[in-house]
Amino acid sequence: MEISEQLAAAVAEIFSTMIMMDVTVVQTAPERTSTFTDSISGVIGLAGTQKGVLALHFPVPVALAVTSSFLGMEVAELGPDVEDAIGELANMLGGSVKTMLTDKGRDIQLSMPTTISGGHYDFQSLNDALRHALGFHTDAGDFLVELQLER
Amino acid sequence: MGKNVLLVDDSSTMRKIVGRSLRQAGLDFDNIFEAADGLEALALLEKEKVDVILTDINMPNMDGISFLREKAGRDAIKGIPAFVISTETGDDIIGEAKSLGALGAIKKPFTPEKVNEVLGALA
Repeated sequence: MEISEQLAAAVAEIFSTMIMMDVTVVQTAPERTSTFTDSISGVIGLAGTQKGVLALHFPVPVALAVTSSFLGMEVAELGPDVEDAIGELANMLGGSVKTMLTDKGRDIQLSMPTTISGGHYDFQSLNDALRHALGFHTDAGDFLVELQLER
Repeated sequence: MGKNVLLVDDSSTMRKIVGRSLRQAGLDFDNIFEAADGLEALALLEKEKVDVILTDINMPNMDGISFLREKAGRDAIKGIPAFVISTETGDDIIGEAKSLGALGAIKKPFTPEKVNEVLGALA
């Protein structure tokens, strides 16, 4: 199975088992975007035999809906709960990516997840990276997942 | 006397989700203690009676493997059953965790049914 297909399956599994939200892939090769508006991104780095970056980019309203469903309580504004939830999503997806890229996740280390948020920010791509990106739809809106791997 | 569980994870979201999954799985612990890393967990274990530990692997300050190693070296707490609950479930990491006394592992993402399957006999 292609990495993009595995990525889609991993996102769907996380959302169905942990967040109780349905997600569908709406874009299989979204245009490269480096500037985000009123958004939050969960980011995790990969090191070892395969280096790269995994990022999940959510518009704020989608991040609030995801966090609310994740925690089982209404979350109305961006803050530590949302940052933690989006970081943990990146962490869980990072674990799945490790398994996709190597035999049972051997020889790849994950960084601690971080988040970036704000009214306007840039997320720079790695130079000469192989990019797998997918756009997802939820009832609360759309979000983007991108995996950049050094060649 | 009721049983107490300690959840060790740097994500407050994940601690809430695991606590909720324990209840959904019908595992009736009297107290659910929380720690954000291995150091906090060791400090809590000095004060509280804990019957089962669920620990993440990737955490700041003291990760899950270092925590299990410390725990294995302390007579007062080395016998407390511990399980890994993590995105890190590769054979090498789980093998190391088991060599340090972990009894099993739950991979994130997980369902309450999986939690019950792994922990059911201990609750």
